[in-house]
Amino acid sequence: MPKLGFSIRIATALAAAALVAALVATAAVARPAKHAGTTISGAGSTFVQPLVSQWISPLGSAYGYELQYSGVGSGAGIAAITARTVDFGASDAPLTPDQFSACNGCEQIPWALGATSIMYNLPGAPNLLKMDGPTLAKIFMGQITTWNDPAIAKLNPGVNLPSTKISIAHRSDNSGTTFNFTDYLSSVSPAWSSQIGRGVAVNWPVGSGGKGSSGVAAIVSQTPGAIGYADVAYAIHNHLDYFRMKNSSGKYATPGLRGMLAAAQSDQKPAADNSLSIVNPPKKYPNAYPISTFTYVIVPLQSSKAPDLKKFLFWAVTKGQTYGPKLLFAPLPKSVLVVAEKAIAKIHS
Amino acid sequence: MSTQEVTGHGLRVDGLGRRKAVNRLMESLAWVAALIAIAILGVVVFSVARRGLPALNLDLLTKDPIPFSLTNQPQGLANAFVGTIVIVSLATLMALPVGILVAIYLNEFAPAPIRNGVTMILDILNGVPAIVIGIFVFGLFVVGHGQSGWAGAFALACLMLPLVSRSTMEILALVPNSLREASLGLGVARWRTTLSIVLPQSVGGILTGTVLAIARVAGETAPLLFVSSFVGTKTSWNPLHALQSVPVAIFELSESPDPADHARAWAAAFVLLMFILLASLGARWLATRNRRKMMGR
Amino acid sequence: MTSAELTADAARRPFTGRRVQWGDLILQVVAGGAALGVTVLVGLIIWKVVEGARLSIQTYGLGFIFRVAWNPVLGHELYGAGSFIFGTAVTSFFALLLAAPISMGIALYLTELAPAVIRGPVTALVETLAAIPSVVLGLWGILVLGPALRTTIQPWLHDGLGFIPLFGPPSSSGASIFTAIIILAIMILPIVSSISRELFLGVPSELKEGAYGLGVTRWEVVRGVMFPYASGGIAAALILGLGRALGEAIAVTQVIGGGVFIHWNLFSGGDTLASKIAASYQGSTTKLQTASLIYLGLILLVFSLIVNLLAQWIVRRSARKHGIVRGGHA
Repeated sequence: MPKLGFSIRIATALAAAALVAALVATAAVARPAKHAGTTISGAGSTFVQPLVSQWISPLGSAYGYELQYSGVGSGAGIAAITARTVDFGASDAPLTPDQFSACNGCEQIPWALGATSIMYNLPGAPNLLKMDGPTLAKIFMGQITTWNDPAIAKLNPGVNLPSTKISIAHRSDNSGTTFNFTDYLSSVSPAWSSQIGRGVAVNWPVGSGGKGSSGVAAIVSQTPGAIGYADVAYAIHNHLDYFRMKNSSGKYATPGLRGMLAAAQSDQKPAADNSLSIVNPPKKYPNAYPISTFTYVIVPLQSSKAPDLKKFLFWAVTKGQTYGPKLLFAPLPKSVLVVAEKAIAKIHS
Repeated sequence: MSTQEVTGHGLRVDGLGRRKAVNRLMESLAWVAALIAIAILGVVVFSVARRGLPALNLDLLTKDPIPFSLTNQPQGLANAFVGTIVIVSLATLMALPVGILVAIYLNEFAPAPIRNGVTMILDILNGVPAIVIGIFVFGLFVVGHGQSGWAGAFALACLMLPLVSRSTMEILALVPNSLREASLGLGVARWRTTLSIVLPQSVGGILTGTVLAIARVAGETAPLLFVSSFVGTKTSWNPLHALQSVPVAIFELSESPDPADHARAWAAAFVLLMFILLASLGARWLATRNRRKMMGR
Repeated sequence: MTSAELTADAARRPFTGRRVQWGDLILQVVAGGAALGVTVLVGLIIWKVVEGARLSIQTYGLGFIFRVAWNPVLGHELYGAGSFIFGTAVTSFFALLLAAPISMGIALYLTELAPAVIRGPVTALVETLAAIPSVVLGLWGILVLGPALRTTIQPWLHDGLGFIPLFGPPSSSGASIFTAIIILAIMILPIVSSISRELFLGVPSELKEGAYGLGVTRWEVVRGVMFPYASGGIAAALILGLGRALGEAIAVTQVIGGGVFIHWNLFSGGDTLASKIAASYQGSTTKLQTASLIYLGLILLVFSLIVNLLAQWIVRRSARKHGIVRGGHA
């Protein structure tokens, strides 16, 4: 009789390994069971990601919540919350009626105020060069191709602009920042409005695409002569120069707190779906930065995590706003905060 | 096949000098080709080491990432390393038994047409691009249920299965038939012969094949991209939720503009590369040793 | 004797008190079940991919394959695979073109020219190239290769050969089809060279010695004896390398730059079937876009299957030609 010993030993070893694995798996699953319901996951806008990232640690100490946020772009965030793969979505572009109906019982709530900076990489040139809307539109349409073009030189007298070729960096994914930027370009350039239009994704005539705001920032920082757009926190974080933009009153504004708050004054009453439009404010707001935007959290009105979600969101629009200024997110204006809190209260389980 | 047929024509003896020159040229080109391959490998490994080693510290393996950190707090990729360990372990647990059973069936029991058919199916599975496996597992497990480490492990198991099966089949085929015949001749049942005689002989080869398969999938990004990527920053051992993994972390960091992110990506790449290289080379050394042992019988 | 014959033989032997061997039955059922499971798995993969693409197949039909468009703008959605099939074809073709001669050279070097002591280590080194994960190669491509190409090779090629539309203006960011071609070539290299090496080792030495005996140079032996003998296998190796290039999503998406138009300029950005899926899948907003991305995956799957089966068929055909019987234990 051949010895059974070996096969029995192998069988025992395999069984033991399987048992250990099962135990580890159970332990792994069992431990977080105590914390069930305290993981709050969200996905969406990379525009607001710097701010949300600051909330992870204080939220953990305040309520014991584990906040998970994936910056996959506003479009993907809307898709994720529509599929209920996450607890909340985040988008800088307000939902369209079709997206509202697809989301089946969601609401959008403004929860941060920021600005899209137009970043550039031009070695030897100073920071805060001046730019205006129509010229910017022509640049992004590929009609202005070098830095020393007369249109740019006219805006920046006395600055020595090289003949470097302009490279455009835009978003390759569905982006609320793209929506904000193209919204602005459409309002200052009839040519842009008719040929390209506004949206979370458009047919860019020129340029290379980066994924997420970091992708655009990456292209700009690695390419001399590049121009790209992203939330101003990315420009600061990556030490990139950005333009001063000419607003409707003829003054040049930077994407700082003052510019955002001035722009926010142009629309103080959220619409029925809680959206606000503060792009290219009229000339009675002389300090406004014309490419500012509110950004929204998208939540289902009915959620199994309703109490935690509400606590998180209340904290986000109040205490959470205090983490904003150093990243150049302005605190929500009072009128918007009131509407936001009313909307948060509507969430039920 | 005679040389005449192969070359197709008679050989001219004149022009010998030219032919010798052509020969020398071709030989040097071959030599250059080998140099190119070694140079590429050297450059890549050197790049990874040069940029990764300075950023390689204990923090990388023990601390969680802090996105958009405004202070210079120590951070690392602990969640990714733990996630990879969990996902790859689970994948191995799924793929190993199935792979071995398939190999046993094909080599010990299956009639020729079934063996050829299933072998072809294994080759087809091997040829499915990893990104399509990702789409498949997304549609199967993620839609409606959310991402999870289990789904990621299943995706990697699909990639490991043909590798484990094929290497197990090869090693089972190397076990001399005389052993099987002797055992059966003594009246031992087929199953006992397979499990107590054939399998123990093959353990070395199976181990080698498994290590190679692990080395292969530890670096796979595509299958995990849509299946286990919505992750938080806290390290988790729980495969019921999506887990971060080292290749996905490197992928995300590689597209960032922040040089500090790049440094962490290089360091993680260095660890991953070293693990894979050591595992591959170790497995190959084991395989040569095993083969020599089996041939010596 | 095959295993099946052994079983039949053992069953025929007189063995007192032989009862039904439950163990045999159980093992056969369980192991056979595993084999069946694998078959079901492959079928499931194909089915799930077709099902996922159904909406796009219904909307666009086969025209999707030839349309050069990818417009995700809501209200104007229009999708097509044309530019990505083109991108896949261009990157794979040029990567193979670049990798094939170098792989052959390596294989020849290792079988014919290298001194015995370094044969082992160099072989191991070349195979190690295959072990580098694609994301690491892509990381290297983005941060090292791309910028290097942008400042050196691309302007040089453009200045010298700019009249060829392939070498248009260099890319601004280093991410380009050209960079992707180089990365893919690096990935194909070890596969083709290791298979070719084994093929060259398998050429019967009598054939080579016969040729040498006629006073033929080494290169002429390679060209006249080894290549023809191994031609089937080399074709299969190239096709397997092609399959590797077709399916590579991660490294390509990291370095290729993205883009929908068909350019002849290798220095512009673009996308392949695999890289487009990797880049856009997570961010897909509408059902039609997701289905169209899966449709891209279906096309990729079909290409990969064709390539895979073609390689298998070639291997079987050349094995038959050389009188090698395949399969089973001797």
